[in-house]
Amino acid sequence: MSIKSIDPRITRENLSDVADQNPIKELNHWQTYEVFHQTKKGDHHIHVGSLHAPNAEMALILAKEQYARRYECVNIWVVKSSNVFTSDYDDEDIFETTPEKMYREAGGYKVMEKINKYKKERKGV
Amino acid sequence: MYGGGYIFEESKNGKSEAEDSEKLERFESKIAAGEKIEPSDWMPAEYRKQLIRMIEQHAHSEIIGALPEGTWITRAPGFRRKLALMAKVQDEVGHAQLLYSAAETLGKPREDMINDLITGKSKYSNVFNYPAVTWADTAIIAWLIDAGAIINQVANSKGSYGPYCRALERICVEESFHLKYGHDNVVFLATGTPKQRDMVQEALIRWWPPIMHFFGPSDKISVHTETLMRWKVKMASNDDMRQKFLDMYVPKIWELGLTIPDPLLKKNETTGQWEYTEPDWNEFKKVINGDGPCNKERLAVRRNAEEKGEWVRRALMRKDERYTVPFA
Amino acid sequence: MNGINDFTEIQTEAAKNLLYRLADDQLILGHRNSECTGLGPILEEDIAFSSMAQDKLGHSQALYQLLHNMGEKDPDTIAFTRKVNEYKCCHLVEYPIGEYDFSLMRHFLFDMSEAIRFNMLSSSSFEPLAKIARKFKGELKYHTMHAVTWINQLGTGSGESPFRIQKSLDVCFPLALGIFEPSKYEETLISEKIFFGEKALQEKWLEAVIPVLKNAGLVIPDIENVTAAYGGREGIHTEYLKPLIDEMTEVYKIDTGAEW
Ligand SMILES: [Fe+2]
Ligand SMILES: [Fe+2]
Repeated sequence: MSIKSIDPRITRENLSDVADQNPIKELNHWQTYEVFHQTKKGDHHIHVGSLHAPNAEMALILAKEQYARRYECVNIWVVKSSNVFTSDYDDEDIFETTPEKMYREAGGYKVMEKINKYKKERKGV
Repeated sequence: MYGGGYIFEESKNGKSEAEDSEKLERFESKIAAGEKIEPSDWMPAEYRKQLIRMIEQHAHSEIIGALPEGTWITRAPGFRRKLALMAKVQDEVGHAQLLYSAAETLGKPREDMINDLITGKSKYSNVFNYPAVTWADTAIIAWLIDAGAIINQVANSKGSYGPYCRALERICVEESFHLKYGHDNVVFLATGTPKQRDMVQEALIRWWPPIMHFFGPSDKISVHTETLMRWKVKMASNDDMRQKFLDMYVPKIWELGLTIPDPLLKKNETTGQWEYTEPDWNEFKKVINGDGPCNKERLAVRRNAEEKGEWVRRALMRKDERYTVPFA
Repeated sequence: MNGINDFTEIQTEAAKNLLYRLADDQLILGHRNSECTGLGPILEEDIAFSSMAQDKLGHSQALYQLLHNMGEKDPDTIAFTRKVNEYKCCHLVEYPIGEYDFSLMRHFLFDMSEAIRFNMLSSSSFEPLAKIARKFKGELKYHTMHAVTWINQLGTGSGESPFRIQKSLDVCFPLALGIFEPSKYEETLISEKIFFGEKALQEKWLEAVIPVLKNAGLVIPDIENVTAAYGGREGIHTEYLKPLIDEMTEVYKIDTGAEW
């Protein structure tokens, strides 16, 4: 007997009403790609998620609808997940830096005091 | 869309395996400080296991959730409804895709999750085992089931696992369209011709018990989840979410003059809590364990879709390449 | 450049006939392809295919709206209340979705013709139609990119895939030639520069699809020995259209006076 559904699409599929308990063998894995999108020219591309695709060309086609159908987008990148190299969260502390690095901050350079002192002295001449 | 009816495994207070206590302490203090956990971070095995379980159930609920409403996709009346229903069901498929990806970051491939779904090993939200008998059922589902899902998903989006939170953030944006669409649809039926009104009233009567089941059994009787709440895996109690839902939506249902099939339903003005007839939790258990009106059909349909797609996936497989886990 | 009110009676009739043909094709194929939503072969493709089905329905709605502006009934009434023999779609779009190879091949053959057709129409002397055609451009471009990529990859894919794709091509090809069934208004449409005509379109279509099919390793059916599936434009349809229309209009007809 086949399943008679309220959904005519399902009834047309003629599915057996005897439940199959077995897993599908050889469920194939496609590659995983990471998706980046750019909202408008001039902006950075931003990582928005990942998807399964057999190759880059298909990944672009599929990413367009899954990641850009509802959002403003002018460009997408896809990168194979296995091609992305990341730093380790265990090494998070390498990003911590001592605050005493005024030599590379704009605020570390205050010369007005010197200039004013110099001007004052010149006036005295 | 998914409610709070997660079937967590009995948690062992995080002490299931001999975890490195120093690492565990650091992990817990990170979460307590509101930091997110990322895929490559150290995490207790129990955390990983329960998260996979929850995100996977959520993903299954999205893809199976596409079926009750999909029932009416070929019969939606008029362009506006036809297009909106298609876009809505499509979004649910998209949500499944995002959530499977999030679960994959924890190390379980999508295909394994799908196999666990179609063999009944892994669960999905109970409500989708009920049929959408008429067009009006799709309106009730899109409005009220999605409303419930939003309450749950907004709570979960503040959880501790980064990839899940990011997926939920996007999902929540789309859900707000679902809610508006559903409400619009119900309002048109409720304020329409007598036939339309009858349709929507009957659908509400059908869907009320599943809606009350949606957030899962009362906290008094469900699996202890203290550790999961501390780890910010479970973000709100089932009862709290149910109360919030009733508070937001019962007045909106009543203002349309629709009858909710629960004579005890009322807000206790002193406690501020809604009182209601206790849902039939035996029915809930029965359905979740496979014996609901549509369980068999839902799984058969999903299996069929996978099997029919098999040659497509196989055609484009590259034998020299191995599957990799998404990194975020 | 012509607006709605600049036409003679025969020109109006010709333009309306063209619009009905185009809109009905898009409605019926959009409807057919919507059947796959939630049931597709891979989640990612399910989403892409659904978007394109939505686009098709959107296109039909826009074309019916133009018909409405020309004095016909509103889009919902046109789409949901006509009798089967009043639809002017070609047979290709009526067939059930079948297996995914069939749906993809139909999508490829049809959308290649759409992309060329609307590209031609974007310089139509009938300005409201030209405007619509220009609006569809981006969507149709994605549709053909999608279709070409799939046909190319599956045609050269492993396992049973090339065989399936070839079989679908053989089934679809005569049906696809039915897209170009000439109407009795061809001369008016061409002389008034409303549309360049089905014959010209078919030629351009062949020029576009044959290289793709060849590249995908497929054998092109011998066009001389293929009978094009004509009749749809005159309201003579396959056995598949009536059940489709009945299903599509089931809820709408519960209460035709209702606002859904
Ligand atoms: Fe959803
Ligand atoms: Fe939703």
